[in-house]
Amino acid sequence: MSLERPSPFAAVLETALAWALGALWLAPLLYAVWTAFHPPDFATRFDLFAPLTLDNFRRAWEAAPFARYFLNTVAIVAIVVFAQIVLGTLAAFALARFTFRGRDLVFALILLQLMIAPEILAVANYRTMRAIGAVDTIWGIVLPYLTSAFGIFLLRQTFRTVPQDLEDAARIEGCGTLGVLWRVYVPAARAVYLAYGLVQASWHWNNFLWPLIITNSVETRPLTVGLSVFASVDQGIDWSVITAATLMTSGPLLVAFLVFQRRFVQSFASAGLR
Amino acid sequence: MKTTRRTLFAATLAAGALVAGFTPASAETKITFYYPVAVGGPVTKIVDGMVAGFEKEHPDVKVEAVYAGSYQDTIAKILTAVKGGAAPNVAVALSTDMFTLIDEDAIVPFDEVAGKDAKAWFAGFYPSFMANSQTGGKTWGIPFQRSTVVMYWNKAAFKEAGLDPEKVPATWAEMREAAKKLTKRDASGNVERWGIEIPSSGFPYWLFQGFTTENGAILMNEEGTKVAFDTPAVVDALQYWIDLSVKDKVHPAGIVEWGTTPKDFLEGKTAMMWQTTGNLTNVRKNAKFDFGVAMLPAEKRRGSPTGGGNFYLFKGQSAEQQKAVVEFVKWMTTPERTAEWSIATGYVATQPAAWATDKMKAYVADFPQAAVARDQLEHAVAELSTHDNQRVAKAFNDNLQAALTGSKTAAQAMKDAQAEADRILKSYR
Repeated sequence: MSLERPSPFAAVLETALAWALGALWLAPLLYAVWTAFHPPDFATRFDLFAPLTLDNFRRAWEAAPFARYFLNTVAIVAIVVFAQIVLGTLAAFALARFTFRGRDLVFALILLQLMIAPEILAVANYRTMRAIGAVDTIWGIVLPYLTSAFGIFLLRQTFRTVPQDLEDAARIEGCGTLGVLWRVYVPAARAVYLAYGLVQASWHWNNFLWPLIITNSVETRPLTVGLSVFASVDQGIDWSVITAATLMTSGPLLVAFLVFQRRFVQSFASAGLR
Repeated sequence: MKTTRRTLFAATLAAGALVAGFTPASAETKITFYYPVAVGGPVTKIVDGMVAGFEKEHPDVKVEAVYAGSYQDTIAKILTAVKGGAAPNVAVALSTDMFTLIDEDAIVPFDEVAGKDAKAWFAGFYPSFMANSQTGGKTWGIPFQRSTVVMYWNKAAFKEAGLDPEKVPATWAEMREAAKKLTKRDASGNVERWGIEIPSSGFPYWLFQGFTTENGAILMNEEGTKVAFDTPAVVDALQYWIDLSVKDKVHPAGIVEWGTTPKDFLEGKTAMMWQTTGNLTNVRKNAKFDFGVAMLPAEKRRGSPTGGGNFYLFKGQSAEQQKAVVEFVKWMTTPERTAEWSIATGYVATQPAAWATDKMKAYVADFPQAAVARDQLEHAVAELSTHDNQRVAKAFNDNLQAALTGSKTAAQAMKDAQAEADRILKSYR
C-alpha cells in the first residue's frame, strides 16, 4: 500500500470501477433471482408487481433426485479438498525444505503435469477405474483428483517464503519435523489454504464431464449431472426453471463464499502485516 | 478311457438336465442402455417408465437405463466407455454420429441380429429417417427421437400487418415480402418486432440445410466421404439468409441464439421463426395468440433436414444380450409406443403405422399442427453427416457464422468450408 494520499479523482474512479465490476458480476445473479421467483411469463419482462411464485423451484426439484445429488456433491467436494490439502501440504513441504536426490526432477514432473488437460486422460482414467472396479462409485469420481499439481506448486512457493529463522526457533523449542510443519508452515500459509480451498471447492462443485462419464446411477451422481436435465437443445430454453435449478444448486456455494469472504479478506490482511 | 469319458459326459448331461429342471428356465440377461435428453421436462422419467414397462413384459431381461446428458455428453460417454472396454449394449445418440461410431468400430448393424423379419421392420419407418440410419447397404441405427425443422407463424401479427393469417408464405419471395410487412419499428426506428428469426448459434448448419435443400443442393454423398459446400446453389442460399438481415432488415443482424428464439416468438418479438418440431409442445402451452405451423417455404423445391437420435447396437456383447437389445429396441419402437412418445415429447412419430393409431389420430384431430412435420417428411433429406462428423460440421458452422456476421463473403466462407472439409475427409476416400 502506498502512503501517498490518492487524488480525489483517482478515488472516485476507483470506486466507480469497483461498482461497475460489481454490477457486472451481480447482473446475471439478479436476473436469476428475478426469473426464478416469477411465473415464466415474466422471464423477459420486468414488472414490479408481477406475482411471486415458488412453482419454478418445485418443478426443478421434481425433475431430478436433487436431494441425493446434493449429498453426493458435498461428499465429493469434501473428500477432494481434504485429500488435496493434506497430500499437497506434505508434498510441498518435502519439496520446499528438504534436499534429496531427484528433487528438482520430481518438481519438474509435477509442473509438467499442470500442462495436461484432464479431459485428455479420461479414457486412461476410465480404464484404471474399471480395472479396480471403481466405475459408478464416488471413489471413481474423486480418485483422479486426490492430488493436484497446482496445489503442490502453490504451497511449495508459499512455504519457501517462510523465514528459516522461524523454523529454527521452533526446532529449538523442541518441535519435530511434523511439528514444525503444523506449527510454523501451515499457519503461515493460512490465507493460501483458504483461497486454494475455495477455488478447488467451486471447481469440483461444478465439475461435470468426468462424473458423468464414470457414473451410471443416481446414487453416485453429483448436482451438475442433475442440472444438465434442463439443457434442452431440441426445445426452447425454459429460463424460469433453469434459473430456479441454478439458484438451488449453486446456493450453498454462494452462501459459503459470502460467509468466508470476510475471513478471506481478513486473513489476507493479517498475512500482509507479517 | 473312452468309456469313462463318455460316461462322464452322459452324467454331466443328466446332472445338467436335473439342474435345469430345478432352476428358472433361463438366467437373467442384463443390458445397459445410455440415453441423452434434449427436450425439457422430466423426460428421464418417461424413459424410465418405458424401461420399467419393458422389464415387466420381459422378466428375463434387466435393463440398466443410464441418463447420459446432452447429445454431446452422451457421445463422449459412449466413446470413453468403448475405449475403456466397457461399451454399453445399446444407446441413443445422434443419427449423424453413425459414421463416427462405425469408424471407431463401436457398433454392429441391426440386419443380422434382427433375423428374417429385419427387412420388414426397417421398411416400417419413414425413408427420410432411415436415410441417416443406413450406409453401405446396412442398417446401423433405428429412428427414435427424431425431429425436423418447420416454420411457426404468429396469426395475430399477420392480421395486424394486414396479411391473411391463414395464408403462410410458401416461397422464399413470399417469405421475404411477408417479413417486410411484419417487421415493426417504433418512432425512433428501433425494431419492436422482427419479420422472421432463423437461429444461427450452436449448429447453424442444420437450419441452413433447410435453405440449401430448398435451393436444390445436396450437401454430402451417402458414403459420408464427400461434401459440396461451395456450389453456386449453396452460396446463393447463404446469400438469401444474409440478405434477410443486411439488405431487407427483417431478420436480426449477426447470430440469432437458438435457445431464445422460441421465447422471442412467444413474446411477439418475431412474427415467424424456423425451429425444430421439438418445440411444438412448448409453443402450444405458452402461446397467448393463435399460431400456425407450416412446411419451410420452397425455392426450387420444398425441403428440410431431419434431426435427432437413433438407437445403436454395440459390439462385444453376448448373443443373448444382442437378442435382448433387439427385443428392447423393437418394443420401444412399436407403433403404439412411438405414438405415446411423440405425444409426450413432441418428437415426430417415426412410422406411418404410429400415425394410424387411435391415440395419434385423436392427438392430430385436437392439434392439427402436429401433422405438418409428418407431411413435410416426403420432402426431407438426411441431416449433414460425414466421417469425422464433428470436425466437418465445425468447419461448416464456423464459416457460416463468419458469413452471417459479415467477416467473410458468402462465396469465400463456403470456399473455406469446402477446403477444410476436403482436408479432413481426404483420408476416408
